[in-house]
Amino acid sequence: MKPDTQPLALPVSTARTAPTGSNAPTAHQALPLFSLLDVEKSFPVDGGRRQLRALDGIRLTLQAGESLALVGESGSGKSTLVRVMLGLESATNGRVLYGANEPASFSAAQHRRFAREVAYIYQDARGSLNPRMSVAEVLAEPVRLHALRDEGEIPARVDELLAMVGLPTDVRHKFPSELSGGQVRRVAVARALACEPKVIVADESVAGLDVSVQAQLLNLLRDLQRDHGLAMVFVTHDLGVAAYLCERVAVMYLGRIVETGPTREVLQAPLHPYTQALMNAFPRFDAPLSVSLQGEIPSASNLPKGCRFRSRCVFASEECQQTDPAQMSYSALRQVACLTPLTPLAAVVPA
Amino acid sequence: MSQASLQVEHLTLRRNGVAVLDDVSLHLPAGQTLALIGESGAGKSTLAYAAMGLVRPPEVQLQGRLMVGDVDVVTAPERVLRPLRGVRMGMIFQDASAALNPCFSVLSHLSEPLQRHRGLSKAACKARAIELLASVGIADPVSRLQAYPHELSGGMQQRVMIAMALACEPQLLIADEPTSALDVTIQAQIMALLLDRVRALGASAIFVLHDLALATQVADRVAVMYAGQIVEEGPAAEVLNHPRHPYTQGLRASAIEFDAERLQPIAGVVPPLSAMPGGCRFAPRCALASARCSAEKPELAAHDTVRVACWNL
Repeated sequence: MKPDTQPLALPVSTARTAPTGSNAPTAHQALPLFSLLDVEKSFPVDGGRRQLRALDGIRLTLQAGESLALVGESGSGKSTLVRVMLGLESATNGRVLYGANEPASFSAAQHRRFAREVAYIYQDARGSLNPRMSVAEVLAEPVRLHALRDEGEIPARVDELLAMVGLPTDVRHKFPSELSGGQVRRVAVARALACEPKVIVADESVAGLDVSVQAQLLNLLRDLQRDHGLAMVFVTHDLGVAAYLCERVAVMYLGRIVETGPTREVLQAPLHPYTQALMNAFPRFDAPLSVSLQGEIPSASNLPKGCRFRSRCVFASEECQQTDPAQMSYSALRQVACLTPLTPLAAVVPA
Repeated sequence: MSQASLQVEHLTLRRNGVAVLDDVSLHLPAGQTLALIGESGAGKSTLAYAAMGLVRPPEVQLQGRLMVGDVDVVTAPERVLRPLRGVRMGMIFQDASAALNPCFSVLSHLSEPLQRHRGLSKAACKARAIELLASVGIADPVSRLQAYPHELSGGMQQRVMIAMALACEPQLLIADEPTSALDVTIQAQIMALLLDRVRALGASAIFVLHDLALATQVADRVAVMYAGQIVEEGPAAEVLNHPRHPYTQGLRASAIEFDAERLQPIAGVVPPLSAMPGGCRFAPRCALASARCSAEKPELAAHDTVRVACWNL
């Protein structure tokens, strides 16, 4: 299993047109791949008497070739956000745009194109593979479905895909049950690459792996993303993984993005106390383990009044109980939703 | 207290003729914590389960000595071990949602060890259960007694399992990946809680972990395992911040940190236990391997405060 990736045959034109109809603004190369405009998603609970607000006012764009990490604890809405982006759930309010169009109003052809351009890597890689299909069949299926190669070229393409993810060609005849956890995840990555996507969306794709195998997979994903101009949305609760893979990070808490910006800047001087707390909880070789957050994330069906983080925030004031902070710009690239954000200076002092 | 420390001498455990643990020797002084680290298949969990007396003949063949206090788990019959499990040693499993019985309430879970080992009455069990839940940081313990596992979050389930393991105040606590299913914030809470409880009891603890940085912070000592053998063992900070064995160095270079430039994974994979190379088992993946490494098995030898099994030191 070599961590190095082979030269790969992906079309790298990141400025391809958005999947729109004939009246599409094809000249607009800067049009984001995804635009989320005040997206809300609620689920009815208690037989419809209450609403669980899984997403609340999400504003986010993803540019071509950009890598974005969605970070937060379980229950912060990361996976729901991804499901809404993929069109697996429809937003209760607000708009999700892929290019210039809403997935809900896609024509059949646009839908097929969306399915090819946006590849999803499931959290449970083994569960996402049909146990009765060999690796070669798993990888050939999307190629055939989207008519990306002539039938005769498919075996060569399968070998090419295996080489891209650093798997030996002799796994092509194996079944998922014959592969190790690391190999199964590589197959899942190869399948995502098979449809020559513009965006890869990955949900906790390196969680629960041995460090060495995790490192191999992280290097693979990073190289694929950087060398071939793929955009990537990476869902993780591990800030270290986010820092390693993604240029931009969006920190989520209870259905809101509480801080977003370039990963390096955010981690050097976090603005939101929650970001700081997540960083402090990350085990370090050179600092004692710190219990930075008491309690657990509250239920999204019973949101606290005012700032939703205040029940766990060490800086919470009277004002935080009353006012729900809006997303504010700190710099051109950084936004934070906090009434009293940590200044970069205060951020180096442990909270 | 001294009787509860762990003393492993030349322990070999074979399953279907294959050595899953190969000549493992280890000493854990009373009141200290030990982390077992290494990749899947290294034998970390098997060693932890063996110490509880949970992997036994005829399922496996055991050689050597595995002393928990004054009892040799290898030779002790089941009737000796049964009263010890939960009393002298307590176990925390990896997946709390699978380890708790979905049909039993929190109170039933906590009452079981108290009734069996301590012979407490129902009322006494309830009082003690409330104490235990409070001690593991569960707010409003009285109202949680009648809850079923599915009504609790992952962190809460883990706290209940810790309360169960500590119910009879064991002197050796064994935790198999206690936080790998939890968020980092909850992981920090649970590990701090575990350490606090272990210290309060003056007990020893064995943590099976895959997070090296976490091991550095929660364990006094660490044993690095590879393919059924211990390859490096010593004080946690020394072993993990100044690794001597090429395998430990490889793990360290694979571990993610905030300022990581590029991770350097270990080349290759762990060979199957049925086809282990002779000599050093890590040799096929080791950049330093020489002819001697493939021919002769290196024994653990002292280097300062650390024991390392490598010919290249």
